[in-house]
Amino acid sequence: MHSRYGPYGGAFVPETLVPALQELEGTWRTARRDPKFRAELARYSRSLGGRPTPLYRAERLSRRAGGAEIWLKREDLVHGGAHKFNNALGQGLLARRMGKPRLIAETGAGQHGVATAMVGAALGLRTEIYMGEVDMERQRPNVLRMRLLGAEVHPVSTGQRTLKDAINAALRDWIAHVRTTHYLLGSAVGPHPFPAIVADFQSVIGNEILREARRRWGRPPDLAVACVGGGSNAIGTFRPLLRTKTELLGVEAGGPRGHPTGAASLARGRPGILHGTYSYVLQDRDGEIRDTASISAGLDYAGVGPEHAFLKDSGRARYVAVHDDEALRAFRWLAEDEGILPALEPSHAIFAAVREARRRPASQRIVVTLSGRGDKDLEVVGRAIRI
Amino acid sequence: MRSGSDGGSRAPGRALVAYYMVDRARIGRYVPLARAARRVGATHLELGFPFSDPIADGPILQEAADRALRHGTHWADLLSAIRETRSILPTIVMSYANPLWTRGLERSLADLRDAGASGLIVPDLSLEEAGPWRLAADRARLDLVLLASPGSRLARIRALARASRGFLYLVSRYGTTGGGAISRPSDLAPLVRTAHAAAPGLPVYIGFGIRDRASAASALASGADGVIVASALEHALARAPSTATIARVLRPIASAVRAVGV
Ligand SMILES: Cc1ncc(COP(=O)(O)O)c(C=O)c1O
Repeated sequence: MHSRYGPYGGAFVPETLVPALQELEGTWRTARRDPKFRAELARYSRSLGGRPTPLYRAERLSRRAGGAEIWLKREDLVHGGAHKFNNALGQGLLARRMGKPRLIAETGAGQHGVATAMVGAALGLRTEIYMGEVDMERQRPNVLRMRLLGAEVHPVSTGQRTLKDAINAALRDWIAHVRTTHYLLGSAVGPHPFPAIVADFQSVIGNEILREARRRWGRPPDLAVACVGGGSNAIGTFRPLLRTKTELLGVEAGGPRGHPTGAASLARGRPGILHGTYSYVLQDRDGEIRDTASISAGLDYAGVGPEHAFLKDSGRARYVAVHDDEALRAFRWLAEDEGILPALEPSHAIFAAVREARRRPASQRIVVTLSGRGDKDLEVVGRAIRI
Repeated sequence: MRSGSDGGSRAPGRALVAYYMVDRARIGRYVPLARAARRVGATHLELGFPFSDPIADGPILQEAADRALRHGTHWADLLSAIRETRSILPTIVMSYANPLWTRGLERSLADLRDAGASGLIVPDLSLEEAGPWRLAADRARLDLVLLASPGSRLARIRALARASRGFLYLVSRYGTTGGGAISRPSDLAPLVRTAHAAAPGLPVYIGFGIRDRASAASALASGADGVIVASALEHALARAPSTATIARVLRPIASAVRAVGV
C-alpha cells in the first residue's frame, strides 16, 4: 500500500496527528495479514452486516433505458442501509486492536454516522459523531438513529455547516484526544493511511461484483458506475476491476443547475491540499476552499479521494457530474420501475448508468453500485417533487 | 534577517512572538500594531494568512480567519501587511499548505521573501511532506519553521529540530490553538533538551495556549527560548482593536520572558 497515487495523496497534517497515523498504518498492515482478524471481519460482515450482497438485474429500468442491461450491486441491503458499514466495521476492529476506547466520526448524509454508531455499540466503544447543522436538518431520520444507537451527535455550526466542516471538527477533536480516540474517517479521503484503508475495506464491493459476474457471465461487466462523494463506494467498486477491461465511470454531484461548481471536485476542481491529502479540490485563486451545493448531503464535499484524482489523470476511470434534478428523476425511475427507494447519492449514479445504457448495445452489461437506500431522503425528495 | 536567535537584529534575551491575523480591514494599521507589540517587548511578528479550513485552530483563530475572508482578504493583503511590519520586527508568515501550494510553491515563497518576510510556518506540513518545501524555502532564503508536539517521539524531535530553520515551534499540548492548559514544564523539558542537543543554536519557541504571565512562565520553565502568543491577542483585539489592548495582553507575558533572562 502506498501513500501516493501518482502525485496525489500524502499526509498533510499537524505533527500531533503523525504518531496516531503511523500507529494506525502499522496496526492495519499487521491486521490484514492476520488470519484471526480476517476471520473476525468476515464473521461480522456476514452475520451482522448481511454480506455478501447480490447483483440484481434491473429489467424494467433497463427497458426504460433501451440498450445495455443494467445490474444493481445491492449495497443498500447492507446493515444500516449503506456501504458505509464495510469501512466502519473494519476500522472499528482496528480501533479495538489499538486499545482505543472512543470513536469519533464525521458524517454528511448520516449513513457513516449510523454505521459508526452501530459498530461502536456492537464492539462496546464510546461513539461521538460530528455533523453539520444543515445536514442534521436535511437527514433528520439518521440523527435520530445515531442517538438511539447510543452515539452522541455534535452539531457543527462553522463554515457551510456540511460535510467539510464536520471533518474539520472531527480532526480538531482528534488532535485534542488522539491518545484515546480513533478517528473513524468515513470516506477514501484524508491523510495517508486513510484512503488506502478505506479502499481496502470497501473493496469487498468490487470483489463480490467480480466473483458474481464471473459466475453468471463468465466475464467482468463492461461498465461499472458508482457515485463519488469522497469516493469510498466508488473506489471499493473500481479497485478490484482495475486489472480487468471493465470501463469505470464515477459520478459526482453537479448540484443545482446554474451553480458554478456543484460538488464536482474532479470535474470542476484543481489539484490542492484539503483535509490532509493532495487531490482535486474546489477552490478559489487564493486556495480558499469554495462552497459547494448538492441535494445529496453525502456528495456535498469540496474534495475527493486521491486515488480518484490519479485514475482521472491516467484515464483509467472517467468522471461525470449529474445535476440535482437528474438525480431526482433517477430516484423516481428506480422506485417506480424496480420497487427500490435509492438514496440520493447513488441516484446520481443511476442517472448516469441509464444514459450510458442508452448508448450501448443490449449485449453489454452495466453494474451500478446502489450504495444506499433512500429512507433518509424521503422528506427532501417529497419536498422537491411536491408529493 | 533570520527568524531565530542565530542572527538578525534581535536584542539579547528570550523571544516573544506576537501573532496577528492578516485582515484586509487592518491594512494600513499593521505599522502601529507592530510598533505597539515591539514597545512592550515583542521580538518577532507572526502574520497569519486566513484559510477557510484551519484544522489546527481553535474557535478564536477560526473566527478571525472567517472574518478576514468575509472582509475580502487576499494574498496581496498578506504581502502588504508584511511590507508594513518587516522594518519594525522580523516577520514570519503562518499559512496552511494549500494557499501556498496552489499559487505554486516557488512563486509563493518568492513573493513572501520579496515582501520582506523572514520565515514561514505551515501548521499542516508534516516532516514527511516537507522535502520539496524545504528546498524551495532554502532557495528563497526563507526559514521554514517546523512544528513539534508533545506526542512526538524523541527521535522525531531530533529529526524535526535538524530540519527546522529559524526556530523549532513546539506545540504546548494536545489540542488546537487557544484556550486550555499547557503541558507541564517537566513534560516539555525533555523535548526542549532533545531539540537543543540535536540542533545547537536553534531556539525552541513554545506556542498554543500562551495567554498570561503564568502560562508563559510555565512554558519557559521547560528551558524553551521563547513563546508565541496568538489567540489571546486576537481574542482581545476582536473586542477592543487598539494598541492599548496589545499592551495589556503582551505586557505580563513580556515580563515573564524578561524574568527568565538571557
Ligand atoms: C448512500 C451513500 N452513498 C454514497 C455516499 C458518498 O460517499 P462515498 O463517495 O465515500 O461513497 C454516501 C455518503 O454519505 C452515502 O451515504
